[in-house]
Amino acid sequence: MVEKLLEISNLRTYFFTEAGVVKAVDGISVEVNKGKTIGLVGESGSGKSVTAQSVLRIVPRPGRIVDGSIRFAGEDLLSKSENEMRKLRGPQMAIVFQDPTTSLNPVYTVEKQLTDILMLHKDLTKAEASKTALSLLQHVGIQEPEKRLKAYPHELSGGMKQRIAIARALSCEPTLLFADEPTTNLDVTIQAQVLELLKQLQKEYGMTMVMITHDMGIVADMTERVTVLYAGKVMEVADTHTLFTSPKHPYTEALLKAVPSVKQTRALEVIPGNIPNLIEPPTGCVFHPRCKYAKEICVKSEPALEKVENGHDVACHFWRDLKLEGRGR
Amino acid sequence: MPEERGKRGASQWAVAWRRFKRNKSALIGSAIVVFFVAVALLAPYIAPYPARSYLPLYEGDAGSPPSFKHPFGVEDSGIDVFSETIHGTTNDLYVGLAATLITTLIGVAVGAVAGYFKGAISDVLLGLTQVFFVIPVLLLILLFARVFSVLVFRGLGLTLIVLILSFFGWSSIAFIVRGETLRLKEMEFIQAARALGASSYRILFRHIVPNILSPVIVVATLNIAGFILTEVVVSFLGFGDANTSTWGLLLNEGFSFIRTDWWVSLFPGIAVVVCVLGFNVMGDGLSDALNPRLRE
Repeated sequence: MVEKLLEISNLRTYFFTEAGVVKAVDGISVEVNKGKTIGLVGESGSGKSVTAQSVLRIVPRPGRIVDGSIRFAGEDLLSKSENEMRKLRGPQMAIVFQDPTTSLNPVYTVEKQLTDILMLHKDLTKAEASKTALSLLQHVGIQEPEKRLKAYPHELSGGMKQRIAIARALSCEPTLLFADEPTTNLDVTIQAQVLELLKQLQKEYGMTMVMITHDMGIVADMTERVTVLYAGKVMEVADTHTLFTSPKHPYTEALLKAVPSVKQTRALEVIPGNIPNLIEPPTGCVFHPRCKYAKEICVKSEPALEKVENGHDVACHFWRDLKLEGRGR
Repeated sequence: MPEERGKRGASQWAVAWRRFKRNKSALIGSAIVVFFVAVALLAPYIAPYPARSYLPLYEGDAGSPPSFKHPFGVEDSGIDVFSETIHGTTNDLYVGLAATLITTLIGVAVGAVAGYFKGAISDVLLGLTQVFFVIPVLLLILLFARVFSVLVFRGLGLTLIVLILSFFGWSSIAFIVRGETLRLKEMEFIQAARALGASSYRILFRHIVPNILSPVIVVATLNIAGFILTEVVVSFLGFGDANTSTWGLLLNEGFSFIRTDWWVSLFPGIAVVVCVLGFNVMGDGLSDALNPRLRE
C-alpha cells in the first residue's frame, strides 16, 4: 500500500482583481504518493504554479483559496494557522522557483541565504550552519564551494544560482519539493545538468517531488505520474507512460504534438489560439474553443473527470470515440 | 571585471564605494562634510571663546572688524563671530543629524508597514504620510517652535527644534520606503523567503529593508542639508532658541547692522552655504554610486 503524502481535492484558488474574479485554480484534484515524482503540466496560466502556492499557502494577494481541501501527511493544511504553516515551510515542504536571478536576495551572500534558513528552522549555531551550508553546496555540485559561499548572487552564473536555490530549498531536508519550472530560464545544457541533479537529490533524500513544467520532454524524463492542467482544471491524469502512449484528451495530444523531436519529419504542430480569459472562462469544456474535435455538447456542458482505467482519468465527452495519437518515449 | 571575482564578494557597498571614490565632486563634498564634522566635534578646543560669551566687550573689541585676534570680527554686543560660528557648527550639525536619524527611523517604519501590509493600518499610515507631505511645513514649524518654547518646554533648547523638525519631516523617506516595499514585496525572492518559513516581520526587516537602504541613505544625506537649512531659517526669523549658538541666530543678529558690521552676517552665511552644499554634493555622489542602473 503506497502512502499518499499529498492529497489536493477540488481546490479552488481565485484572484479577486479589480477586473473580476480570476479562477486560476478551479476544482483541481491531485494526489501525490510518497517518494514519487509527479508532473503538473500545462501552458502558462493553467494554474500549475498557483496550485503549488496554494499547498504552501503562499498565494499572493489578491488571491485566496476559496474551496477544497489539501491534506499533507494526513493533516489538513487549510485549517492550519499561519504560524503552524511557517514551521512546515522549509522542513516539510519547499519550492524551487523558475528564475534564479530573482529568487535569491541580491544583498546577501550565498552563505547568509543558506545559514539564515538553517538557523531559523534548526537549532544550529552560526558555525554549524556555515558547515552545513558548505556541504549543501558540495551536494548540489558547486565547484569551489568555499569561495562561492562568500559570493553575492550577481557574481554567479544562472546555472550556479539555480543550484544554490535548490540547495536552499533542500537545506532543511523537506519531505515534499515543488520544482516550479526550475529549468525554464536556463541554457539547454545547464537544464540537463539541473534536472539530473534534481533526480539524484530526490533519490538521496527520499523526497517526494512535484515537477511543474510545460515541457513534455521533462515530464517524460522526470515523472512517474502526470496531471495535465488547462485553465485551472484537470484535463487528464495518468501514469507518464500511459499518457504518452495512449492519451485520451485532445489537449494532451496537442501538447505531445507540440514537442519537437530529432526524428521529426512533419512540421511542428502548434495549439491554435490562446489560453482563455480566466475571468470569464469558456462555457462547457474550457478547452472547446481550441479543440479540433469539439462538438456542440462541448460548448454546453462541462465534461466530468471519468475513469478510463485504474489510475487514468480524463475530462472529455468523447474520449471513448476519439482515436488520439500518442508518441513513444 | 573578472579580476574582482572571488577575491571577496563584491557586495553592493563595495561596488558603490568603488564608484564613489572615482567621483571627484562626491569626494570634495565628503571632504567638506568631514571638515564640518571635525569642527563640530572639536569646537570646545578650537573656539577661542565659549559660546555666547561677551568677553571681547570687556577687552574693548566690541564691533571690531575681522583682525588677527578676531578672524571673523566681533558683534556690537561683544560676541566673537569666529567662536560663535564654530559653536554654531556643533549645534547645527546636531540638529541636522538628530532630525535625520529620527525621521529616517520613523519614515522607514511607516513606509515599510504601509507598503507591505494591506488594510486599515496601512491606509491610515499612507494618509498621514500624504498629509505631512503636502502641508506647508515651515509655517507650522515656526508656529510650533514659538508656542512650545513659550508655553511648554522652556528648557529643551535645540532639542525642541529637532523634535519639531522630525515631527514634520519624515514623509519623504516614508514615501520612498513605501514605494520600494510595494515593488519588492512582489519579487520572487520575497516569495522564496516566505516559502521557506520566514515570518512577515522577518521578511520586512531582513529581506525588504536591506534592499532599500540605498535610496534611504541618499535621501537621508540630502535631508541633513535640508534640516540644517530649515534650522537656519527658523533661527534667522527669531523663532529658534536665543540662548544657543547657531548660524541662524548669528544671521539674525547681524541682519540689523548689515550695512556697517557686514562680517557678522557674512561668515556664518558662508558656513551655511558651504556646509549645505557639501551634504548635497555628497548625497548626489551617493545617489550616483548606489544607483543600480548605472553599473560600470
